[in-house]
Amino acid sequence: MLKDITIGQYFPLNSVIHRLDPRTKLLYTFVFIITIVLTNNFVSLALCISVALAVTFISKVPLKTVIKGLKPILFVIIITSLLQIIYVKTGVPLISFWKIKITSGGLLEAVFLTFRISFLIVMSTMLTYTTSPTSMTNGLDRTFAPLTKLGIDFNIVTMIMTIALRFIPTLIDEVDKIISAQKSRGANFESGNIFKRAKMLIPLFVPLLFNATRRAYELAYAMTCRCYNGGKGKTTMNTLKFKKGDWAALLLTVAFVAGVIFLNIKFGEYNAQFTFNLAV
Amino acid sequence: MSLLQTENLSYIYGEGTPFCVTALDKVNIEIEKGEIVAVIGHTGSGKSTLMQQLNGLLKPTSGRVLIDGEDIRSSKAKTLETRFRVGLCFQYPEYQLFENTVYEDIAFGPKNMGLTEAEVDKRVRDAAKYVGIPEVAFKTHPFDLSGGEKRRVAIAGVISMEPEVLILDEPTSGLDPKGREQILSLIKNYRDRTGKTVVIVSHSMNDVAKIASKVIVMYNSKVLMTGTVDEVFEQSEKLCEVGLSVPQITEVFAKLHAMGYPVSEKVYTVEQAYLEIKRVLTGGDTYA
Amino acid sequence: MADTILKFENVTFRYDGDGQPLPPAVENLSLEIKKGEFVAVLGHNGSGKSTVAKLSNGLVIPESGDVYVLGMNTKNEDDELKIKQTVGVVFQNPDNQIVATIVEEDVAFGPENLGIEPAEIRRRVDEALNVVGMYKYRLHEPHKLSGGQKQRVAIAGIIAMQPQCIVFDEPTAMLDPEGRRDVMNAMKRLNKELGITVVFITHYMEEACEAERIIVMDDAHLVLDGTPREIFSDVDFIRGLGLDVPQTCALAQMLKNDGIEISGDHLSVDELVASLAKILDRG
Repeated sequence: MLKDITIGQYFPLNSVIHRLDPRTKLLYTFVFIITIVLTNNFVSLALCISVALAVTFISKVPLKTVIKGLKPILFVIIITSLLQIIYVKTGVPLISFWKIKITSGGLLEAVFLTFRISFLIVMSTMLTYTTSPTSMTNGLDRTFAPLTKLGIDFNIVTMIMTIALRFIPTLIDEVDKIISAQKSRGANFESGNIFKRAKMLIPLFVPLLFNATRRAYELAYAMTCRCYNGGKGKTTMNTLKFKKGDWAALLLTVAFVAGVIFLNIKFGEYNAQFTFNLAV
Repeated sequence: MSLLQTENLSYIYGEGTPFCVTALDKVNIEIEKGEIVAVIGHTGSGKSTLMQQLNGLLKPTSGRVLIDGEDIRSSKAKTLETRFRVGLCFQYPEYQLFENTVYEDIAFGPKNMGLTEAEVDKRVRDAAKYVGIPEVAFKTHPFDLSGGEKRRVAIAGVISMEPEVLILDEPTSGLDPKGREQILSLIKNYRDRTGKTVVIVSHSMNDVAKIASKVIVMYNSKVLMTGTVDEVFEQSEKLCEVGLSVPQITEVFAKLHAMGYPVSEKVYTVEQAYLEIKRVLTGGDTYA
Repeated sequence: MADTILKFENVTFRYDGDGQPLPPAVENLSLEIKKGEFVAVLGHNGSGKSTVAKLSNGLVIPESGDVYVLGMNTKNEDDELKIKQTVGVVFQNPDNQIVATIVEEDVAFGPENLGIEPAEIRRRVDEALNVVGMYKYRLHEPHKLSGGQKQRVAIAGIIAMQPQCIVFDEPTAMLDPEGRRDVMNAMKRLNKELGITVVFITHYMEEACEAERIIVMDDAHLVLDGTPREIFSDVDFIRGLGLDVPQTCALAQMLKNDGIEISGDHLSVDELVASLAKILDRG
């Protein structure tokens, strides 16, 4: 039921990738996304895809799980592909019927885009699969810590994220319990028309909100007792340290970017229309 | 035929996932009409899961729950009917109050049963009387009541459905001694006046000793013991092994008995203890 | 006095009641707690005992009167951090005190806020988790622990700040017997082994009996202050306050009321057994 929802889709395994510093993972994922968007030919794209597959393989997350993760965006991929097929008119005309002309250029574009979007998503999900929410928050905290100097208080943001992660399971349990309790009093959450159903949300949300507010007050007291003052002058027990693996990963990232730039120049843009799509 | 009965009832949480947990393992219990049954056991022994099986909230993995000898899952209508015949009041029920007035909250259950307005009104007033909430408090917002009062309103919200079996999951937890006493006496009172069956889940052996006529001890998803208060408390060693204890006063009399004094070991409350000492001192020769 | 850690002087406090004046939660309370003491505060719900916890480290400030922590007045904002570091509070609901998603990171929260060096935090966190017997759970997620385990994590979170006094506000009220026992043991341990002053607010009298000194609150006032023996010698008075008395004391009192001679204290099973044996021998 509700309890089965996993947050952040973390896939707890012990792999080289899992053990990397979250900042390393954030950085290479970010770099990968930009790089794959900037690829302009199939050879560069092939390099990106091999890198993504290599990361997946090393992380030990089953490929099946990763591919399943693409399901939600299948619709987006199909629509964009169709648009490419219909609107791109370069290359050799293949089929034409009614007002639609399908050209080899259009087909190539569709294939190119499908792979690009898919692996962009694969790499992003790999980030959440291999990084626990806590570690991710930690990484974000450290990455954005310099912003404090610019007057942006990122401490508050990470505190909010941490508390949210901490309390989501608690609140989910509570929702389960309230639903069972109201069902025991004959409440029907499953059937009826939309108005009836909307009305049934009251017995669920009123207690939930009331309890959440009560929790918030108690938590505020508890945090005050532990000298929380907005994160000023705060230190961290688990300081993040770049290890050999992180340096290696960063080196590989640089090599990867250089490789893609080289291939981009060497094989060039295979048509002008493509650059236009990039801009879109 | 028992009013409520389970037959090899098993339940596994999250079946088919790597996180599955067996909460009930071939449980067989019988609850007769008019009994006050106490279900005791440590946290995670399966007692709360068992209660949710009895009113059909959870579906057994295997085995059956029978009401008047009929499977509560024989039809959808039967399951719904069971939910009203077996009223379940969860632990910390005050956190489920939601209406704007005490009256409306107690009326929620009866209204869901589709009763007439007059019948709903009668039931709300009756239920409020049982839990000692005066009618002047009907218009109060439930959130403005004290902890103990909220608890009683929440219990009234289940009593108002007039279930044949009233199940209370740890009704006294978190209350102070006065609050505990009030809840226990209202339960006893309710049972005496209506003659209806009450099942109470509890950690407190003192509470159990005070009101139960039958005790079911759960341990590791199974029924460890069933019997009268006497039969169960006699086995104090076995109870201690599973993290439960007998009342302090029972220990005193067990020790005196072991020292050779002519007192009964079957003393579970202070009142019984007092009568027992008086009996021995005045030379009575039958055990209390 | 040098060995006083916590001092209340004529303290009165009332909560805000949406513009309407509420009756005071604590009225004219004077109280002194000495370093190293294990004090239980007993009272029914609404007697003002939880407010004592909030007053003791400046979570709320007295309306009149003063609260001193090691001589520092809680009204003085400059001493706020020092006071909170000296007197920690553990609350009733363990769920609402745990901030982080990993046990050890939660325990580190206090020291991190105090700006302590990472290596020192690590040392304190490990030590605190060991004291409460939760070290092997240090990498667990708090929401998967039992109530008693969560409460012990919350206690470790306070211990890691190295306070001299910890006020426990009904820490066992929401726990099962096993969880209650574990939390009681943790409290006793940190009093005996770490020398931390413990103020333990509860309505379970059998738990209060384990303290050296009991303070009884009723209707915003302090009504009794003494050793468990002194407190439970007047069974009827304690009952009148809506509190429980140990079953052993209750029976002794019933017999006494009946004119049966029964002398001595009856706080424990063995004491009562001895007294009853005497009576039965006589009879």
